[in-house]
Amino acid sequence: MRTLRVIASGFRMNLKMLGTSSFFLLTSVVQPIIFATVAFYMFRSGGRNGTLLYASLGAGMMGVWSTTLFGSGGMIQWQRWQGTLELGAAAPPAIALIYLPFSLANAFTGMYAMAATLVWGRVVFGIPLHFAHPWLFALSLPATVIALGLMGLVLASTFILYRHANALSNLLEYPVWIASGLVFSTSLLPDWTRPISWCLPPYWGVLAIRHAALGGDVRGPLGMVLALGLASLAISSVTFRWFEHAARARATLSLT
Amino acid sequence: MRRWLTVFFVGGSIAYRGLFNWIRPAMYIPTMLGSPLFQLIFFTKLGQFAQAQSRDFYIVGNSVQVCAMSSVYGMTMAVANERWFGTLGPLLASPANRAAVFLGRGMPVLANGLLVSAFTFVAGTLLLGFRPGLAAVPALALVVVVTVVSCTAFGMLLGSIGLRAKDFFFAANLAYFLMLLFCGVNIPLDELPGWMSAVGRCLPLTHGIAAAREVAAGASLLHVWGLVLTELGIAAAYAAAGLALFRVLEHESRRSAVLDAY
Amino acid sequence: MLVIEAVDLRRTYRTTTGVIRRRPLDVEAVRGVSFAVEQGELFGLLGPNGAGKTTTIKMLITLLLPTSGDARVLGMDVVSQARDVRKRIGYVFGGDRGLYERLSARDNLRYFAELYGVSGKAQRTRIDEVLELVGLKGREQERVEGYSRGMRQRLHIARGILHDPEVVFLDEPTIGVDPVGARELRQTIADLIAAGKTVLLTTHYMFEADALCDRIAVIAKGEIVGEGTPAALKAGVAEGRVTEIEVFGVDDGVLSRLRVVDGVRAVTVEERDQKQLLVVQCAADRELTAPLLAQLDGFEVGRVTSREPTLEDAYVALVGAGD
Repeated sequence: MRTLRVIASGFRMNLKMLGTSSFFLLTSVVQPIIFATVAFYMFRSGGRNGTLLYASLGAGMMGVWSTTLFGSGGMIQWQRWQGTLELGAAAPPAIALIYLPFSLANAFTGMYAMAATLVWGRVVFGIPLHFAHPWLFALSLPATVIALGLMGLVLASTFILYRHANALSNLLEYPVWIASGLVFSTSLLPDWTRPISWCLPPYWGVLAIRHAALGGDVRGPLGMVLALGLASLAISSVTFRWFEHAARARATLSLT
Repeated sequence: MRRWLTVFFVGGSIAYRGLFNWIRPAMYIPTMLGSPLFQLIFFTKLGQFAQAQSRDFYIVGNSVQVCAMSSVYGMTMAVANERWFGTLGPLLASPANRAAVFLGRGMPVLANGLLVSAFTFVAGTLLLGFRPGLAAVPALALVVVVTVVSCTAFGMLLGSIGLRAKDFFFAANLAYFLMLLFCGVNIPLDELPGWMSAVGRCLPLTHGIAAAREVAAGASLLHVWGLVLTELGIAAAYAAAGLALFRVLEHESRRSAVLDAY
Repeated sequence: MLVIEAVDLRRTYRTTTGVIRRRPLDVEAVRGVSFAVEQGELFGLLGPNGAGKTTTIKMLITLLLPTSGDARVLGMDVVSQARDVRKRIGYVFGGDRGLYERLSARDNLRYFAELYGVSGKAQRTRIDEVLELVGLKGREQERVEGYSRGMRQRLHIARGILHDPEVVFLDEPTIGVDPVGARELRQTIADLIAAGKTVLLTTHYMFEADALCDRIAVIAKGEIVGEGTPAALKAGVAEGRVTEIEVFGVDDGVLSRLRVVDGVRAVTVEERDQKQLLVVQCAADRELTAPLLAQLDGFEVGRVTSREPTLEDAYVALVGAGD
């Protein structure tokens, strides 16, 4: 019960903080719309009009990933700047528990990205929103978002140790877009990248979402999303403990 | 004149080290080399998947555009961070020539932008099979230099805006992303609606990228002279606008304390 | 020769008020300030936060234009000859900010040496000199981000005097510095005067102004409410003695009775936990303890002391007079 309250209050607090940040608006709404627009024109130019919804969904997922990534990195970095990272580490609940709701809230706001690209595509480019399996879509999106949030938690734990979290965020944005095949097929990539793709929740997430919208097997990818989400949670609970300990030894919790 | 030049070169490079947030290797490698590299791969693969343009179209477009990593972010920081560090007051209280201070900061940014672009071109050659003729390389280099100059000039204007605006990082990010859409980096201008291509033609990059594509495909410099001159003209216009805005803000600041958060 | 001259300086800020219907609101930060500083003098502007000290100093160093009035530094107008003024003055402000954190102290100084046109050859020796003067020699290659508050402040001063200015403006230079560091800074400031510079210092520390300044102007709510040597200020407001009485639970009625006791010039109250401290300024030639205590009959009275007036008494009287 206490645990749930810690999670709920952290979730609310982070949503409030994100709501006042223009950077958040940029990553979760503006950037996905710009990338979606670029993708629409590229797809249209190649005569692949039938796949514009594919581009909408992909650009939306790119936004979900960016929000999770910058949210996780930013959340640790801001806490460090404000001097609250030490407070979190000093509080009685397990540190992973403190950051779990923050990560979930970050990923949750990633849904804005999906909504933004779908609405933008519908209104500006007239892309019809017909879903093959609406109910499975309604299930796949939140499942993917939660799994990404949990993956963000693993990242956040590394940022506790690594002061330049922003740089790591910048580095991980495109590669995950690429390796997860969010807007193009991973078959265009070299074979050795295949196992990397399989380990990424967004790879399975976008498959589930795409199949729910355009038709195809949803249950398989959806199961993988949930499994990888749970695995992330398990990993993060261990890494948080490790890194917090290492950060205390190396004194990287605060700036002073 | 000598004073002007030392403020320009020596001052410019010291200030750059002080103000550019990403200068440490731990920040520089991921943002200035890693991010452009993956951007190149992303759009080249996306283009291949969409079957829209040739592979070289995306490689040249993105390799030139990534200089904005330095020109837009670096330049914005090199000006707008004065406020963040609280050093704007001492700077404005000094008698130094403002044009020398301001333009001098563009030099290291420019050099870095060239490095980023060159690195991305090399990556395109090694990883994605970009093969311009050897003869095309000098001309391509010249076109890239001109384009980076104009991008840096654009960054100067953004930096001046950032002195006044609360959230300059937002503007820098937005500018960077919009370049991907408007400047013919990934979409040919004639496939965009008229108003969008018109906006694109007023921005830096657009003419430079067009020239770079022709040169990479074997055209001579004489053939793209018009594009290169237009790009230079755009550079001059943005640099002048940036400096003028800086002067206006300095004057406004003395008159009505608009920059007074230093 | 007059080095700094301010004549009826005024400065108004325009802000807006109201959430829905924004109305312009003019805030008068400085309202008609006049003073003059002689060559080689250490002149103090003393006042509470928000009194207009920083605004005044920013007008003198050319960062703000006066709304009206005139100011001249070294005989040059701060509005029309701003660039010439800038070359010959130094400006130092208190606080953590205003340094390039990622650069070393030496690089910070090199940059400003460039901006102030210190030639390459002179730079090396001059930078060493100022580092020596402010006591940062040996630490100058370290990045500023690792500096303590006191070291940052000394670097600020080094930056301000790098180009050997004739006039140095110091805006609350000791704010937030520990007592030992502040004492060292005051020594550095005294050294500037010894080296023949003219210094204008703002502060809200009484003892600092008392210890350092040749003359002081007390500024409150944008106006100068008193000016003179520290001794003259003390004498002018409270030539006489100060009687301090600890009491418990006195009210305004008692205070007004005390104020009309013959020979009493002013009464102020400082709240201290449960008790109050009455500070009574009396004429010099009168022994007022007995008549004062008579008015306090019925209240619990603690320690009673009598002492010489300090600059603080003068300051409180001057600043409080406008309330």
